[in-house]
Amino acid sequence: MVLEATMICIDNSEWMRNGDYSPTRFQAQADAVNLICGAKTQSNPENTVGILTMAGKGVRVLVTPTSDLGKILACMHGLEIGGEMNLAAGIQVAQLALKHRQNKKQQQRIIVFAGGPVNYDKKVLEMIGKKLKKNSVALDVVNFGEEDESKTEKLEALVAAVNNSDSSHIVHVPAGSNALSDVLLSTHIFTGDGEGGSGFAAAAAAAAAGGVSGFDFGVDPNLDPELALALRVSMEEERARQEAAAKKAADESTSQDATMSENVGTSASEAENKKDDLMDDENALLQQALAMSMDEPAATVTTRDTDMADAAVDDQDLALALQYSMQDGAKDQSEDMGKLLADQSFVSSILTSLPGVDPNDPSVKDLLASMQNQPSESEQKKDDDKAPKEDDK
Amino acid sequence: MSTESAAAAAASAILRNQVDLLDFIDWAGVECLNQNTAHPFPNALKQGYREDEGLNLESDADEQLLVYIPFTQVIKLHSIVIKGPEDEGPQTVKLYTNKEHMGFSNVSDFPPSDTLTLSPENLQGKPVVLKYVKFQNVRSLTIFIEDNQSGSDITKVQKIILHGSTVETTDMKGLKKIEDH
Repeated sequence: MVLEATMICIDNSEWMRNGDYSPTRFQAQADAVNLICGAKTQSNPENTVGILTMAGKGVRVLVTPTSDLGKILACMHGLEIGGEMNLAAGIQVAQLALKHRQNKKQQQRIIVFAGGPVNYDKKVLEMIGKKLKKNSVALDVVNFGEEDESKTEKLEALVAAVNNSDSSHIVHVPAGSNALSDVLLSTHIFTGDGEGGSGFAAAAAAAAAGGVSGFDFGVDPNLDPELALALRVSMEEERARQEAAAKKAADESTSQDATMSENVGTSASEAENKKDDLMDDENALLQQALAMSMDEPAATVTTRDTDMADAAVDDQDLALALQYSMQDGAKDQSEDMGKLLADQSFVSSILTSLPGVDPNDPSVKDLLASMQNQPSESEQKKDDDKAPKEDDK
Repeated sequence: MSTESAAAAAASAILRNQVDLLDFIDWAGVECLNQNTAHPFPNALKQGYREDEGLNLESDADEQLLVYIPFTQVIKLHSIVIKGPEDEGPQTVKLYTNKEHMGFSNVSDFPPSDTLTLSPENLQGKPVVLKYVKFQNVRSLTIFIEDNQSGSDITKVQKIILHGSTVETTDMKGLKKIEDH
């Protein structure tokens, strides 16, 4: 996360027309430049990047160091190829542009793409390198395109003259099937000095390799946090429901427990229906219900009352479900339950809200009738009847 | 004799009302261009390091050095001591006040507040008295070491001491909230 101002020197000489890097040297260079700009601006939001061209009619600054990525990428369009690369002038203009950067706290860095041949003496380049070092400017050179013994030697000497405790690097990219940007991703130019752009580079490398994103649900939490959260919560709810179902399968001894799980399953499905509205509240209450029904058969009155109050506030369906789940320990307290069930209007309203249950259905009507007469027995019967109905859903 | 007494007078003048301005240097903003990273500026400026004879501030690519020192409050600069080895110690030193972020290219853009030519005595520790009137209102000091005694490629500075006094300015860090009782 080094705060840095970078000037990228692009080679747009005639030598860039060559197709030994696909599709052309110039296009490969442009891709690499785009990647670098992205990496720099992402590693630190206050980083600035500028672009200049070294060939053509003369050295021309396309954009002065700015953190606006759109502006930088836009200026890459419509560049013309022609002329010869002027390395010395390019570096000196870059140095001047960096000197007049707005934020003086930024470290200075120049990245040079050297595609065409280098016409300057080694001595001249070394002097330039020394001057850069004196002004604490770091230099990265990407040696691609023309392969030439003397060119390599000169560029190596240049970087050696600038290098101050390993801040400057040179990368040689031979022509081949690998894209220029892919080769650069693994070098110091992207990885900074061990940190910084490595996150971006790793993501880019993963995308380039065409592999899995590696995130939990195929959704990047950074890109879409709400979707990722929703997916995670529904996964947890599903897991909770499956646990309940598993418990049900395990406890076949008492039908009460079976009923319990069934009701818990009901409440879970109800909760899911209202997922978008009261997700956290539902979960909390559901967990409470689960805990109470599974762990402590003899639920305390106070807890139950609290639950009732909360549940009553939220919605009637959940209140009913909770009542069912507390049934196990509250067999002696079924009077209240009976009272509630006896309230036919309340029950029918519950039933209408339940999907798949038609109150005009004769079996349901029978249930309601029998319920009023025998509260305790019919609860079970009703639940058993309800269970297949829920399954029909 | 007279020169000795004058030197003594100068030395006593320092002792009388001037302090070592080390405490008023804003260390976060100190910059040094063309320093050798193995021999950086704290070797010459900081309390423990500068006393050590073996630790020097050394230049890197060539013999010039540019040190920028901001202060935490406004000061008046009276004199300066620059100690260094006999042959590689600095010779021509230019001082600029209140100019931020200077580079080697704009040292000639404006005249320095003072130009010192250091003699071997100065390099032993004899303070150089500055044109006091020029250093009345100093927020930052830039020391440009142009060349050294022997003309070698590397300039070495062992110690830099600034003597002066403070103007009555408020040190914001020293402000403390008054507790209500």
